[in-house]
Amino acid sequence: MIRDYYNRHALDEKLRGAPRPAGVNHLAIGHRQAVAMVLAHAGEEDTVQQVLSSATEFTVRFSAPGEWLVVSESDTSEGLQRRIDAFCAGRAYVVDQSEARVLFRLSGPSTHRILAKGVGLDLHPAAFATGASANALCGHIAVNLARTGDDTFELIAPRSFAESLFDDLMAMGREYDLTAAFAG
Amino acid sequence: MASLITCPHCGVRPKEEFSIRGDASLVRPAPTASDEAWHDYVYVRANPRGRTLEHWQHVAGCRRFLVVERDTFTHEVHSVTDGAVFARENGR
Ligand SMILES: [Zn+2]
Repeated sequence: MIRDYYNRHALDEKLRGAPRPAGVNHLAIGHRQAVAMVLAHAGEEDTVQQVLSSATEFTVRFSAPGEWLVVSESDTSEGLQRRIDAFCAGRAYVVDQSEARVLFRLSGPSTHRILAKGVGLDLHPAAFATGASANALCGHIAVNLARTGDDTFELIAPRSFAESLFDDLMAMGREYDLTAAFAG
Repeated sequence: MASLITCPHCGVRPKEEFSIRGDASLVRPAPTASDEAWHDYVYVRANPRGRTLEHWQHVAGCRRFLVVERDTFTHEVHSVTDGAVFARENGR
């Protein structure tokens, strides 16, 4: 039997079955987004940050000094890589992570309380405003956490940790009736 | 144990996000230094009561090596510096 593992989403098994209607607090799993890691050449960190943050075609997540995750909902992984290469003009290394990372989008009025069970960051809007992002621990799993709206957060986790993180988030959200499904 | 560390890149974080990588006050001997000097550098450590300099790696965050100055008696953290900046400032 030939199985195409490459085209199987890490959470296919978890989310199999009839889709349930999304509740007030909902976990949407990204299905078709491109993710790339960008590492600035030594001495080019500020320039790369400026060009990346001026772009409107993708969103940029801070990982570390001189290192970012770039997420696109519209580009293919090759397209995103070409686009970033064009922006950075040889000032950065770009590594495709589309198949290596899973994106979790948590939304609803209780997201702060759900995340507070596993994340040590201060998520008050004054400390972590919309647009902010950082690498952090969620439970025992290192993720990139970003605030994309007042009540919306995105977590990007390594593919091999996706099932564990999914179980953790669902347990953290059980008392708030957290639902989950692939993003439409 | 100092439980909150202010990473210069990531902000205030719980100690669980870090990995302690040992004494940061030691200076690597020259390659031609005596066996005693190398033995001291590799194996011999003090166990001070009071201020210490340590390497802490922010493994679950920015993954940078940091130099944390903290008090082993009062648990107070006096300063946190990026390892590269610390090395530059101390001429290493
Ligand atoms: Zn950090």
